[in-house]
Amino acid sequence: MKHLFKAEVFKGILALLVLLLIVKTIWFVAEVLWLPTKGINEVDKTGAKSLYYRVKLTPNEVAAPTTKPTKVVKQEGNIKEIKLLAIYNDSAITVITVSYKGKTKVMSRGDEINGFVLEGAGSNFATFSKNNKTYKVMLIKSKTSTNAIKSITPVEPSKPVTTTSGGPTGEVVDVGDHKVIDRSLINHYSENMDDIYKEVGLTEVKEGKNLKGFRFTFVRKDSPFAKLGLRRDDVIKSINGQEINSYNAAFGVYKNIKNIDNLTLVIQRGKEEMELEYEIN
Amino acid sequence: MQMVKKIFIAIALVWFVLIAFMPKQELYYKLEQTLEKNDIRLNEETIDEGLFSLTLHKVDVYIKGIKLATIDEVDFFTLLFYTRVEIENLLLDESLKSKVPTQVNSLIASHSILAPLKIKLETEGSFGGAEGSIDLKEKNLHLDLNNTSMKGIEMLQSTLQKNEKGWYYETSF
Repeated sequence: MKHLFKAEVFKGILALLVLLLIVKTIWFVAEVLWLPTKGINEVDKTGAKSLYYRVKLTPNEVAAPTTKPTKVVKQEGNIKEIKLLAIYNDSAITVITVSYKGKTKVMSRGDEINGFVLEGAGSNFATFSKNNKTYKVMLIKSKTSTNAIKSITPVEPSKPVTTTSGGPTGEVVDVGDHKVIDRSLINHYSENMDDIYKEVGLTEVKEGKNLKGFRFTFVRKDSPFAKLGLRRDDVIKSINGQEINSYNAAFGVYKNIKNIDNLTLVIQRGKEEMELEYEIN
Repeated sequence: MQMVKKIFIAIALVWFVLIAFMPKQELYYKLEQTLEKNDIRLNEETIDEGLFSLTLHKVDVYIKGIKLATIDEVDFFTLLFYTRVEIENLLLDESLKSKVPTQVNSLIASHSILAPLKIKLETEGSFGGAEGSIDLKEKNLHLDLNNTSMKGIEMLQSTLQKNEKGWYYETSF
C-alpha cells in the first residue's frame, strides 16, 4: 500500500497543531481567569457650569468686557431711583435689568430710563450718562440666598500684599460688601502653582470614595489667601458654581482662573456653608 | 546533533506561538487596571495589534482625573527576551510648563534579558536629548542630558546635578 504522507511530516504537523492548541488554550485560560476584556477609560467631565457669577450669564471661556468709565460721578439726583438687579454681559451685547419706581425694565446699551442712557456695564455695576456726566450704579446684592448659604463680610480691613522679589504682586482690597483681587495676583498664582502651596496647605475631603472638596490644613498669616477671608479647616465646596468634587474639576477651574472676572467660593466652615464673593480687576 | 536541532526548532516554535497568540490587547487592559490603582488612566483612540507588537494611537493620559498629557503613538514591542516601549510626541499640559519641558518627541524604554534588572531609556524633545537607565535593584533612575546650554530646561536646574559628562538627573523610588 502506498502512503499518501510521510509519517514523519504528518507527525510534525500534528505536533505543531497540538502545540498551537496547547498555547492557545493556555492563553485562553489566562484571559478568562486573569485578564480583563475591557479597558478603563476616563470619562471627560468637562461639563462645568457656565455660570461664573450669579448675575453674569456669559460662558466662562469668554471674559466679559469690563467697561471702565472715564469719569465716575457719585450717585446723585434721580439715578438713586434706578436699582440694578441683574447684568448680562458678553463681547457683543450688554443687557441689564433695572428696577425703577417699582417696575422692572430690561435695557440694552443705548436705552434710556428717566433720562439716563445706559453706556455699559461691568461685572457688578452699570454706567449711565446724562448731561455729559457718567453715573455708576452698583448691583444690588442678593438677599434671597438660602439659609444654608450666606455672604460673609470680611472681618478685618485688608492691607496691600507685600511684594517680594519673585513672589506674587498685586493686592486684595476690601471695598465693603466684597473684596477686589488684583488680576496680577491671579495671573501669578495661575502660572506658579508652587507659590500657592507656600501660602496654604490643601488636603482632600472624602466621603467613602467620593471627593467632597479640599480642606485648608493651614493658611499663612498675611498671605493673599488669608486676606480673602479663608481660614484653616475651611473646606472648598465649589468655585463659581463648579462643584469641586474631583481633581479634574479643581484643575479645570485653576486652568480657567485667568479668564474670569468674578470669583465665588462656597466653603464649609464648621457646620456652616458660606459664600465668599470677589471681584477680579 | 539531530536531537539538538529538533529541540532548538521546538523551542523556537513554542516561543513564536507564545508571542503570536499572546492576548496583547487584554494584557494592555491589565496594564490599564494596574495603572488605575495609582490614579493613572489612559484613553486611547485606537489599538492596533501586530504579531509582536501593540500600538496605541492618540492617547490621553489622565492623572487623578486630570488630563495632563497627550501622546500621538505608544508602541509596545516584545520578543519576550527583549521588550521595548516607544512613545512618540508626548505633549504635556501647558500648566506644567513652569515645572518640566512640555514636549517630548520620543521616549524609548527597553528591557533586555541580558540585563534583567535594568531598563534603558532614551529620550528626545524640546529639552534636547537624554539617555539613562532605571535600576530595578537599586530602585533609582539616572538620566544624562545631552543639553549643555540648559536652554529649554531652566526650570529643571534645581533638580539637576553636574558631573564630568554634564548635567544629569537622578532620583530614587
